[in-house]
Amino acid sequence: MEKSDVLTFAGRQFRSRLIVGTGKYPDYRSMQRAHDASGAEIVTVAVRRVNLDRNQESLLDYIDTKRYTLLPNTAGCYTAEEAIKTAILAREVGLSDLVKLEVIGDQRTLFPDNEELLKATKVLVKEGFVVLPYTNDDPVMAKKLEDAGAAAVMPLGAPIGSGLGIRNPYNIRIILETARVPVIVDAGVGTASDAAIAMELGCDGVLMNTGIAGAKDPVAMAEAMRHAVLAGRLAYLAGRIPRKLYATASSPLEGMIE
Amino acid sequence: MELIVNGKKLDVREGGSITALLDELKINPLRVAVQLNLEIIKRERYGKTVLKAGDRLEIITFMAGGAE
Repeated sequence: MEKSDVLTFAGRQFRSRLIVGTGKYPDYRSMQRAHDASGAEIVTVAVRRVNLDRNQESLLDYIDTKRYTLLPNTAGCYTAEEAIKTAILAREVGLSDLVKLEVIGDQRTLFPDNEELLKATKVLVKEGFVVLPYTNDDPVMAKKLEDAGAAAVMPLGAPIGSGLGIRNPYNIRIILETARVPVIVDAGVGTASDAAIAMELGCDGVLMNTGIAGAKDPVAMAEAMRHAVLAGRLAYLAGRIPRKLYATASSPLEGMIE
Repeated sequence: MELIVNGKKLDVREGGSITALLDELKINPLRVAVQLNLEIIKRERYGKTVLKAGDRLEIITFMAGGAE
């Protein structure tokens, strides 16, 4: 693989194409070890009120901000206004000008409200944010987000935390055909092969949280995901054989023993 | 005097600044964003912004989590 095969967006380069999260881990220590095992360079964080209980540990004690790029998300926001406010507060913390923009349309599926998402994307892009919107696998929507200035588009593979993998690879392939910004599958990855499949399709990266944090052994799964993303990317660059209905023998037909 | 911090009533010394409040709460100012009565206060103004009784503050930071 070329040394220069890096993930690029908004003028930044990343060697790892796996983005991980911070939620749902059994504890901060296992989160830290999982991040390390994943090889990820970007970590998503939620934006919330400080816990006033002084005895609480702080998440940021377990993330080396010199090693990881923080990607604040607007999880829990259901309107463009909420997401914009959250993004602005996140930027005020002063540790990142990136935002993983989530505007949720439905509590059970956690599918995005694309109308509000597009509104928020336009405002935040104008405010100078690097916007990475979590969307669905609709190529029309992906184009609109890109045209609105999103630094990447992040179609979901399946509902957040569902572990169903890439439910519509065909739509994602269509998005890949026309996108001029990175396409990063975000949500739904359940196990290593799901991540590999996303990369084999040609995606520029995969973002996951539950798939790792919720695994029986998050650290081992983080390592598996690291390999899966690498393998999928290599396979994509290597150029797979076509799918055929019938066999094509690999061994020569001459010189057969009688 | 009484303030409302992150939705909770809090009793603090009169005439303290945001810096003083963060210090009292043992909060690292470099890891938070502060909103005072719906206005975001830039970090360089924490020391100069004096709090009054009834002020509502939101002290925000990064926490573990994603979709909720």
